[in-house]
Amino acid sequence: MTYPFTDDHDMIRDAARGFLQAWYDGGKGPERIYQSDTSFDQAAWTSFAQELGMAGIAIDEAYGGAGMGDLGRVVVMEELGASLCAIPFLTTCGIVTDIIQTAGEATAKNRYLKKIAAGELSAAYCDGHDAAAKVVSHVVHAAEAELIVLSGRGQGGIDYFAIPKGTSGLKITPEKTMDPTRSFASVDWSDVAKGDLIPLGYGSEDQHQKLITQSFIALAAECVGGAQKCLDMTLEYAGQRVQFGRPIASFQAIKHRCADMFILIEAARSAVYAAAMAAPEDKTEAALIAKAYAADAFFKVAGDAIQMHGGIGFTWEYPLHFFFKRARANRSMFGNSERDYDRLAGHIFGDAA
Amino acid sequence: MSALRDEFSQWMSDNLCGDYECLRGRATPGDEDAFPGMRLKWEREMGEAGWIGVSWPKEYGGRGASLDEIVGFNEEYAAHGGPGRAGHIGETLLAPTIIAFGTEAQKAKYLPGIKAGTEFWCQGYSEPNAGSDLSNIKTKARLKNGQWIIEGQKIWTSLAMDSDYIFVLARAEEGSAGRHGLVFLLVRLDQPGIEIRPIKQMSGTAEFNEVFFGGAVCGEEDIIGGVGEGWKIAMALLGFERGASTLGQQMTFADEFRQIVELAKKNGASQNPLIRQRIAKAYAGLKIMRFTALRTLEAAETGELTKEGYMSKIYWASWHRDLGELAMEVMGASAEILEEGEYNKMQKLFLFSRSDTIYGGTNQIQRNIIAERALGMPKEPRGGGKVIKG
Repeated sequence: MTYPFTDDHDMIRDAARGFLQAWYDGGKGPERIYQSDTSFDQAAWTSFAQELGMAGIAIDEAYGGAGMGDLGRVVVMEELGASLCAIPFLTTCGIVTDIIQTAGEATAKNRYLKKIAAGELSAAYCDGHDAAAKVVSHVVHAAEAELIVLSGRGQGGIDYFAIPKGTSGLKITPEKTMDPTRSFASVDWSDVAKGDLIPLGYGSEDQHQKLITQSFIALAAECVGGAQKCLDMTLEYAGQRVQFGRPIASFQAIKHRCADMFILIEAARSAVYAAAMAAPEDKTEAALIAKAYAADAFFKVAGDAIQMHGGIGFTWEYPLHFFFKRARANRSMFGNSERDYDRLAGHIFGDAA
Repeated sequence: MSALRDEFSQWMSDNLCGDYECLRGRATPGDEDAFPGMRLKWEREMGEAGWIGVSWPKEYGGRGASLDEIVGFNEEYAAHGGPGRAGHIGETLLAPTIIAFGTEAQKAKYLPGIKAGTEFWCQGYSEPNAGSDLSNIKTKARLKNGQWIIEGQKIWTSLAMDSDYIFVLARAEEGSAGRHGLVFLLVRLDQPGIEIRPIKQMSGTAEFNEVFFGGAVCGEEDIIGGVGEGWKIAMALLGFERGASTLGQQMTFADEFRQIVELAKKNGASQNPLIRQRIAKAYAGLKIMRFTALRTLEAAETGELTKEGYMSKIYWASWHRDLGELAMEVMGASAEILEEGEYNKMQKLFLFSRSDTIYGGTNQIQRNIIAERALGMPKEPRGGGKVIKG
């Protein structure tokens, strides 16, 4: 147990790590997902969400969850980042859970949160604010999600709707992406009858922004987990690989780069834990910092890991490329870090647009 | 807020004013030569009010403050613009070392002067040929007629000019090498065998000094630990450095950052998107520094040594150096102008921060330490006394 975590967090981390590293299996897990052409592992999701009971980690105990908030979610996301397990935890247990918990009506909470907590419902979030044509592409985890949660501008705020998979007229078209371990799809609800959009609740524009930004923390935690895995692999390899009669880990060119990776990862970790612990009024700023820093750190570390592996790091057979591709994808998820820093600058100068 | 924090905050408001007003926000690294007389007076003021040694155990005149209280104390000091502490080497480095390893006689002799803010200490570790490779020190100490006689030279000695004492790491055993045969001596500076020469730095100021020992003396009993234990004591002393004072330092950094933001607003640099990115990154770096320190301190409180503590030095030093560069970018062309013929605060920050990544273990040495201790990578090969030629 190390600050800011408790024994409960440690138990969850151990359980998640045990399951997810068995799934990862030295890179065989991601490769199997690549071969399957679906970017989704239903069996893994069922085991992780239902049997291990991970899906309710951030859901209030009243709805059958563990009520462990951002910090609990961070623990799980770090382990997911270290395994690249192809399951829709990020959206189901992140943004969708938060939207329903914060903005959902009582009926929506009863109807959906209990199911999510029980691991019986997966979900994706679709931002429909600027989609006059009612088509949005690049929606993460929409391909396998059993429920699409849609937001749109209504009178005086943001309205949230649920569209269950199978709703008449709903078209979900999976996209092929460079990172094969996470699914993306376009969501087209132009032919869904208005009456088939199930109202979930509503909130102010400001509250919506806060919700979306808070969800950055989970993604940032995934980046930390992925980056740590890349460093671990690099240290192991550099300790074994002998050139000039010495393990390459004994060369300063390698040692110093590994030290720099360590600094980036630990700094990102601090940013993520600080955001998870932040008081509500500090949450937005802390989440922006966490995502911007961790996404950049992951990308840099994954690239450096390939470089230090030499030729083998460039092969398909060696699993580093999956992490590199995930790191690249995470840089543009929910906007890039330059945009986050720009928002942060607006806070600092007090001239936010 | 703790009672101690409240009390100290009130005391700062009541006392850092009047004659002391000029010290506010001054005498930080790079500005150590500001108001030397007033600074030493300020230390006595702190000492008289019982604000030196709050973290020491009560039996030695401290307050036995908890971690939270020490953090609060340091943050209040910085928040009120308290000047750089002339006595910090004695208070936060030597005193804990004496309390942990010193004799009762040493405690009685040295702690009261530190606590009263009347006696100041400096650190005699580095030598011209013992920088990153500290254990290569050559300064000699020999016991003769109940006195240690010291011959040699120390360098980069901060604040030697304002100090009364120096603690010296010296070689006590003839023919010894490396970490063996060293002794940790407590030496009065005001004596014929010692000469102090200031080193003028690229910042124009002279915080650092050379200290020459030509037959300087201290009593046989003026050593901490035994002969041959000097290295252990010297390293234990450095261990006290990674304490709660880093949070106070961060408040100073935050203040510098705020001034840069104000400047950018005033001169329009805040409209430049590239400057905005860099300002935001500096801000993120500062927040990260704070939470990293909290992680380390909280873990230490429960007796855990966590790995992220190893990055503290390189992280703050690099951040602060970058802040200096950012300050110049924000100033634009006016960065080059000396108003009133002198470096202003931003220019001092820019120039002095080049030393941050060198003193106290260079960034390169920090990377070795991280690689070897935090990551378990192989140790650097050593020359074993011979210089290996390429």
